[in-house]
Amino acid sequence: METLEKLQILSGAARYDASCASSGSRRQDASCGTGNTSQGGICHSWSDDGRCISLLKILLSNDCIYDCAYCVNRATNPVPRASFSAREVVELTMEFYRRNYIEGLFLSSAVMQSPDHTMERMVGVAELLRTEERFGGYIHLKIIPGSSSALVRKAGLYADRISVNIELPSQESLRRLAPQKHKQAILEPMSLIGRQIQESMLERKASRHAPRFAPAGQSTQMIIGASPESDLQILRLSEGLYRKMHLKRVYYSAFVPVNADNRLPVLASPPLLREHRLYQADWLLRFYGFSAGEILSDDAPNLDETFDPKTSWALRHPEFFPVEINRADYGTLLRVPGIGVTSARRIVAARRFSVITPEGLKRIGVVMKRAKYFITCSGRPFEKTGRQPELLRSRLLIGDGAGESIPEPPPKQLSLPGLFA
Amino acid sequence: MNRYLYDGTPEGLLSAAALIIAEEKEPETITLAERENTLFEEGLFIATDVAAAEAFFQRLRREAPDAASIFYYFVLAEKEGLDTSLLHYLFLALRQGDRVNGHLTHSAVRDVVMVSRKASRELHRFKGMLRFEKLRDGAYLARMEPDCNILQPLAGHFSRRLRAEDWFIYDVRRRIAARWHQGKLQFGSIEQFVAPALSDEEKKVQALWLTFFRTIAIPDRKNPRLQKSNMPMKYWKYLTEKQGV
Ligand code: SF4
Repeated sequence: METLEKLQILSGAARYDASCASSGSRRQDASCGTGNTSQGGICHSWSDDGRCISLLKILLSNDCIYDCAYCVNRATNPVPRASFSAREVVELTMEFYRRNYIEGLFLSSAVMQSPDHTMERMVGVAELLRTEERFGGYIHLKIIPGSSSALVRKAGLYADRISVNIELPSQESLRRLAPQKHKQAILEPMSLIGRQIQESMLERKASRHAPRFAPAGQSTQMIIGASPESDLQILRLSEGLYRKMHLKRVYYSAFVPVNADNRLPVLASPPLLREHRLYQADWLLRFYGFSAGEILSDDAPNLDETFDPKTSWALRHPEFFPVEINRADYGTLLRVPGIGVTSARRIVAARRFSVITPEGLKRIGVVMKRAKYFITCSGRPFEKTGRQPELLRSRLLIGDGAGESIPEPPPKQLSLPGLFA
Repeated sequence: MNRYLYDGTPEGLLSAAALIIAEEKEPETITLAERENTLFEEGLFIATDVAAAEAFFQRLRREAPDAASIFYYFVLAEKEGLDTSLLHYLFLALRQGDRVNGHLTHSAVRDVVMVSRKASRELHRFKGMLRFEKLRDGAYLARMEPDCNILQPLAGHFSRRLRAEDWFIYDVRRRIAARWHQGKLQFGSIEQFVAPALSDEEKKVQALWLTFFRTIAIPDRKNPRLQKSNMPMKYWKYLTEKQGV
């Protein structure tokens, strides 16, 4: 089979993988190889669905021995199969990189023969790139659940980021939908990676020459809507992954039905809005100082479809508002709907020079569309909705195109997936 | 006299700023403009003094390093008519240090910071959207038409990234080029550009890229509006994946 045909099959198979981030790593080779990685993350193109393309995202093979209910490539599906040779992947990566199409490689794979057999071949690709081609660009390797810890360690030495997919939000769902994947086979490499990253950071503090282990950290991904968990359960899981396992990112991927299977729910369309809301809630966990328990509760365990999670928190907490722009601390400013990290920082910086007037707020680039209902400027409100929650809800809905505005992401997250309207 | 003129070069700008800030009691009341040599032009001309400009810039780098980099990008943006804002900005930067950059309620500060941000944003975009093509002699060529004059920092970026290759970056509208050859970076202008022949394998690699570009998009989620807002059409001309669209 020609490389072109394989590429078609194996990039098509990788397209639903939500993670396309390539930021958070800086690799600089002293000698004359090709490539470095950039701290900020660079998008090289945007595909027809509007998503950032930054990495050559492909599967090494889609020839799978497992039979996960939700996956196109499961063993019992009659789809065309293909596998790349290590050389082919290396060539593609180098040719694309030299023309500045990509930041690097994101390699995943179906399970060929056995987890170790597959993992070994994937690590082989990374090894060739780093040693023979002296490639200094970005490499992200997916860890195949159940592969040996020796291979996981080796993967971490060549890759900038490694990740293990958690796949589904609970053990019960995993057992039902992906019976060959065991919770332990997923969690063990995850905690091994976590430990190795910590260790390598300590060693590198002692000596600059200690080897790096996955310098861009660890991420994971789960499928949303293929199983019955609530958003609260999902956010609690993410919170634990961030706080206890020190993950860099959790990616959520709306379930796209590709197989008829009575274990799977029947959906009219992929739950894209839900995925989008989960990403917004995830921002609140990581950058805005919210906890899962604040965003949702056992009485209301699912995210509001109408409003983004921050606005909906604000609507439930009228006692917190209005926030005085000239006095509130940074953490409080961040809780105002419509004020993101950038705006909050700018407000704090501008206050040092003079009292901020309403005019001044606009001048420093704060978008007032939603914020105006929740703030005062030197005691003066912008909008007289007063303490009437119903009025406020309807204003937010009618006047301003519902809650469909995205909390301002920090600039480095240019590659945020899931921004479809 | 509270109106000064300079010759329109970055060095001239810095010389003028240095002199005004040193001599004038209230630099914030002064206006500065580019000389146009019209008959009744008002204002005192300040001649360019390269050494003074250099000394002033070094001082700025010491006392307000972020402001120095904002000045650098401001110049790359090639935006006209903001000389007075820039003068006031530099004056404040030397008085307050880098804190000045948070003073966005001040209109001069805001003008300068925003223009400067435009150039740095475009630079960042081109780090991703520049496309190289392999030539018959094995070197790589990228062509571009950016709004801002970003060739220098962009070439710097690729000199760290594509160290093992020989390459050119050509700014078509400004007719200037950067060349990386045997580990050295050079800049120059090109009077007459003749498109060189591509290597035989180039079309094949481009076809592979196009295949990847097309298959990676999720068919049910087509969103041309989002695609265009992230990747404005004015940049499509040299994008391999957008040829013949
Ligand atoms: S192991 Fe991966 S590729 Fe194989 S069926 Fe499961 S999800 Fe699909």
